[in-house]
Amino acid sequence: MVRCSYLSSAPFFFDYFCLRLELMNAIEAKSISKSYADHIALSDVSITVPEQSVFGLLGPNGAGKTSLIRIINQITGPDSGEIKLFGEPLNKEHVGMIGYLPEERGLYKKMKVGEQSIYLAQLKGMSKQEAKRKLKVWFERLEIGDWWNKKVEELSKGMAQKVQFVTTVLHEPKLLILDEPFSGFDPINTALIRQEIMRLRDEGSTIILSTHNMASVEEICDNIALINQSKVILEGSVSEVQNRYHANEYLLRFEGNMVGFTNALWTNFELITKKSEKDQHEAIIKIREGKNLNDLLLAVAPEVQLIEARPHTPSMNDIFITAVNLEKEKS
Amino acid sequence: MNKVILIIKREYLSRVKKRSFIVMTLLGPILFAGLMIAAVFVTQADSVKHKIMVVDDDGVLTRYDEQRGVYVPTCLDCFPDREDFNYYFSPYYPGDSIVTEGDYTMIVEVLNDVFNMRKVQLLYESVPSITATSRIESDLENAVERAKIMSEESIDYQTYKRMKVDLMINKVNIEKGENSYEQERAGIGSAFSIIIFFFIFLFGAYVMRGIIEEKTSRIVEVIISSVRPFQLMMGKIIGIGFVAITQFLIWVAFSGVIWLIIGGLFESGMLQDSMAMGQEMDAGQANLDFETYIQQQEGFNLLLAINWGVMLTMFVVYFIGGYLLYSALFAAVGAAVDNETDTQQLMTPIMLPLFFSYALAIMSASNPEGFAATFFSFVPFSSPMVMMVRIATDTVAWWEVALSVGILVATCWLMITIAARIYRVGILMYGKRPTYKELWKWLFYKA
Repeated sequence: MVRCSYLSSAPFFFDYFCLRLELMNAIEAKSISKSYADHIALSDVSITVPEQSVFGLLGPNGAGKTSLIRIINQITGPDSGEIKLFGEPLNKEHVGMIGYLPEERGLYKKMKVGEQSIYLAQLKGMSKQEAKRKLKVWFERLEIGDWWNKKVEELSKGMAQKVQFVTTVLHEPKLLILDEPFSGFDPINTALIRQEIMRLRDEGSTIILSTHNMASVEEICDNIALINQSKVILEGSVSEVQNRYHANEYLLRFEGNMVGFTNALWTNFELITKKSEKDQHEAIIKIREGKNLNDLLLAVAPEVQLIEARPHTPSMNDIFITAVNLEKEKS
Repeated sequence: MNKVILIIKREYLSRVKKRSFIVMTLLGPILFAGLMIAAVFVTQADSVKHKIMVVDDDGVLTRYDEQRGVYVPTCLDCFPDREDFNYYFSPYYPGDSIVTEGDYTMIVEVLNDVFNMRKVQLLYESVPSITATSRIESDLENAVERAKIMSEESIDYQTYKRMKVDLMINKVNIEKGENSYEQERAGIGSAFSIIIFFFIFLFGAYVMRGIIEEKTSRIVEVIISSVRPFQLMMGKIIGIGFVAITQFLIWVAFSGVIWLIIGGLFESGMLQDSMAMGQEMDAGQANLDFETYIQQQEGFNLLLAINWGVMLTMFVVYFIGGYLLYSALFAAVGAAVDNETDTQQLMTPIMLPLFFSYALAIMSASNPEGFAATFFSFVPFSSPMVMMVRIATDTVAWWEVALSVGILVATCWLMITIAARIYRVGILMYGKRPTYKELWKWLFYKA
């Protein structure tokens, strides 16, 4: 089965791969449930992560993201449900195919950077020589070559994070699971790591990104799943989700009388927010069922001088907050 | 399996390369030997030059030498000329000032009717060493004995010496027809117990600390995404076990070398003084040569009497078994807590049986065939220590050893299984220290 639809927003050269390669799903998780003695971590969670994409795993703290990640990593097992990795049921061989950067991460403080990186690579099944060779390349690329013989305790937090990133990706895992990869980085290094993540995806890796940094979700994620209180409450490609949420909302910028404007909206249109600056006003309007942008413009045009009208795309941040709050209201 | 070897290698090398390990390994035997030597010197050597005034009012031990114009002992042999130990004699009490102000170190007063009362009084200013006191005691004993015999008309000293009997007990085990040296063997057995105790105590705590370190540095989750938690735990236990064995072997070898060096020093005369003093103490007794010969012979027989092959084999077996059993428990505690201060309460159930077994092994040495020794040589938590004493004394049948080892192996397996279950859950838990009830629940979590 060829899956190229998700690539519609990707750069043109991906079309070439689509013609050539048959892409499958990196992860297919079906009805995963996991509970601990005193709480439910995951209930009936299903996600699908297409190969060669960046998948954002979002959710408030304690929602169950880490539980799901640990199940994929085979650190724990699910109580029920089924997981397939690259078409095969989860098995021991998969451990070497995954690179995992946990949220709670560290290194042996007394060990030297180089020695430790080789050790971690060997645990993933690489030979010493191969690990050394690739480490040199990566250390060069991230400009940390001088640290080889330093002890980890001599490094700053950001420096240690870089080493951890390298040890996670060194064995060229087909699946990368990064839990809050940007925490502890300054803006320059955040950009650097983001760039590396994109490059890894372009080279064929599938990446699961769990983060609270919504700006980076919008920028690098192809698909997302939002988990709240052990359940998936939102899933899909980023643009799809943005459309689904706050669809039919438009931003209008105009000069003139605000009172006249609001009166003109009447019952067919809903004023979500408004903002005024001197004579200029900005309003986000939701168009109710049965009406369209033309109707809106016709309604307000007699009252005010329109400057701009465009669809209002909500930020992932807004979507996150709205979705989670909606769930809260429901329960 | 390959990954376990990698973990063992890291655990082993990272510890063996540590400076503190190297220092401890090299310094341990030196410190130990130093303590032994110091102990020998404290009891034997005495740097003080003693000048002792013997006051003999009744004149039982002394006579007046008219030529030299001084009082001299009747029995000259009894007060041999020594470099640092000189006696002077006086028929009357010279006053305390010869000690407090003069250069005498002690006054020995031969009290009235010494033949029957058998008492002398020692006056000193600074406390004399045990060696000096016992030397004075032995010298005066000889002198009084001699004087007493001289005062009897019916007996002469030579006859007395000939008739005096110094009895020795020759112990023979009926079944074996020879001395089985049970007490001495038990002593050697408990020495092995102490070594086992010491290494469990020390290296079990290393296992615990290593696990806490992995938890607090947050590397553990990175590693268990590559290996199973059980592999990580066993790799750590085995790796540290090899460190223990390495340290033990180096200590044995190094102690041997130090022993040879000290032996060499003795022979070359550096320590001859203290040795000479030791010999003199025996000099008063008859048959000196014969006795030392017998004693040496007995020591040699004792060494021969112990089946060293069995002893060392069982030492290795019980060392490994005891270490695995206890370090599994230490591992569980390490996984359950976040930092070392939280370990106190959870350690108690480990420390109690460990110290109890240690005390029991020491006590078993005096009664290796008693009920306590027999019973606890089968209980897996104490068998590694108690059974060593019983094996050393040769009071145990082979099937008893086999049963004891069997129980130990089974318990090790059980404890490692339990520890692995606690470990698996505990390493990913941060925050509050779990209660025993929570630990119990962890055992039944699905992997």
